[in-house]
Amino acid sequence: MSTPLLSSFSSGGVRVLDASAVINLNATDCAHDILRALGDRIVVVDTVVDELAVGTRTSREDPAKLQDLVAASAIELVTLGQVGSEHFAALVAGRASETLDDGEAASIAFALESGGAVVIDERKANRICRERFPQLRLACTVDIFLHPAVGAALGRERLISAVLSALQRARMQVPVHHLASVVDLVGVEQAGRCPSLPRSVREPLRQK
Amino acid sequence: MIAATLQSLDPSVIGERLRIAREAKQITQKDAAAGIQVARTTLLAIEQGQRRVRIDEIQSLARLYGTSVNELLRHEAVHVDLVPRFRKLPNSSDPAAEAAAQLLSDLTRAEVELEALLGIERRRNYPPERPLRAGDVRVQAEQDALELRQRLGLGVAPVTDMVTLLEMELGIRVYVRPLESRISGVFAYDDAIGACILLNARHSKGRRNQTAGHELGHFISARNRPEVLHRDEGEMSREERYAGVFGRCFVTPSGAVRQKFQEVVAGSARLTRRHLIVLAHFFGVSREAIARRLEELKLVKTGMWQWFQDEGGITDDQVRQVLGDLATPSANSEDQMRPTTLRLSLLAAAAYGQGLLSEGQLARLLHLDRVELRRMFQDLEMLDDDVNAPPLLL
Repeated sequence: MSTPLLSSFSSGGVRVLDASAVINLNATDCAHDILRALGDRIVVVDTVVDELAVGTRTSREDPAKLQDLVAASAIELVTLGQVGSEHFAALVAGRASETLDDGEAASIAFALESGGAVVIDERKANRICRERFPQLRLACTVDIFLHPAVGAALGRERLISAVLSALQRARMQVPVHHLASVVDLVGVEQAGRCPSLPRSVREPLRQK
Repeated sequence: MIAATLQSLDPSVIGERLRIAREAKQITQKDAAAGIQVARTTLLAIEQGQRRVRIDEIQSLARLYGTSVNELLRHEAVHVDLVPRFRKLPNSSDPAAEAAAQLLSDLTRAEVELEALLGIERRRNYPPERPLRAGDVRVQAEQDALELRQRLGLGVAPVTDMVTLLEMELGIRVYVRPLESRISGVFAYDDAIGACILLNARHSKGRRNQTAGHELGHFISARNRPEVLHRDEGEMSREERYAGVFGRCFVTPSGAVRQKFQEVVAGSARLTRRHLIVLAHFFGVSREAIARRLEELKLVKTGMWQWFQDEGGITDDQVRQVLGDLATPSANSEDQMRPTTLRLSLLAAAAYGQGLLSEGQLARLLHLDRVELRRMFQDLEMLDDDVNAPPLLL
């Protein structure tokens, strides 16, 4: 379970987006408005840019959309420093079950180096962070959507549309502790059309 | 911390992995050294394990080689490269063939690593190799195809899903991914990792079945020789003639084709599109393949397929009119293009479910983007928390 972003954001600092969060936000087509509403320093490590640019066969637009957000100053691209590189090395080298891919590792490493929060939806990454870096502030994409400032800036209808786009187009994962809030927001009927939600949410009657 | 991390890894192992990654991309030591701004002798020392690589150097090298630092430093990562053996083939200068061979190599490495991580040993049920004998290879190919059918208990029944047959019955690694259209399939064999086949998802399921039959023939007669099969490639060599005939006899056995042809055309004075559509569907091959097979077996006149082509061909709409819901998705439809293979998907889902590999690691390993991977897992219901699912009794 991640620490709710609201508390992480209230203390200020850097917010580091991992590729999983960038992909979810890109799917909304209003990522710029969402990030601007947060009003904080939002960064993406250059390793994540490389990761998004490599190996896709479906011509996804994530690299171009990320560049647009950078050009609009909604996101700042950063590079790991010495301390961050050491954390990165520790996160990519070793047994498979205890390591992460470069983009995930670099996002966590930069958050550790800068004292910021990392927005990462990946379950294994969350587990490794809790075990090895209990002081690190963790958040997920849903934390961003549920942030009061984002709701206020987008309005309820646009917010619902953005969350549905992330769920349906990017197949965003929703942590168990946020399921009720997400279903409350989008409604039971719409939740039933979101394949990334658990069956217990999509087909509540069938499960009973 | 960095010392503890990189010092714990054997420099000769890292060096060897870096050499394999460099050679896979056909980058010279000189160019790689220039890429990270060191002398060639320094790069050589790193590859030979005589000098430890620094984290900034390995990051640059990973970028240059199109891989990740994690793939280079993950203990369980498999570093077998099947591509060099393809470079000895006559058509090796074709970039599409090289890319397909690389993808086959990468997917095979991924599956082997997943098996190791999950502690699964792949069961092989390989038939014995049948090297080409003197004489007419077509006769041998038909005998061998029918013998394998008998061994698998198929009799003369149609095999409409060759991928599942190869994977589940024989234990051959099979992958279906979009390739350039002129590539039909890729085959390779390695004593340690076994036989592996890559089929083109851009081709119809019927055409893929034929390609799988051809590659199976290759596996039977010359498994140590890798192959990239090009679409509409002629059967120039004895090996290719054997594989072509083997594939046709395995997928469309002559006895079964003759019998089904008589049943389907009974009462008709002419061969129609409907007849070809039904026969192609029954045997799980393309309309052209069944038409050519009827010509080869002298059940219709040579040139019959060309006549249909000259008269407007057989369209997907006509197939749907005849078959209704039984029609398979058209080539290049979203369903058709979806990356498949039962086994690799399940292994990946198991590794993710057990927290052994992350989304980023699996996406890179399987050559999928994150959303494709999420879709694959969600299709498998693996992200579901279905508490009502029955427990395994094993």
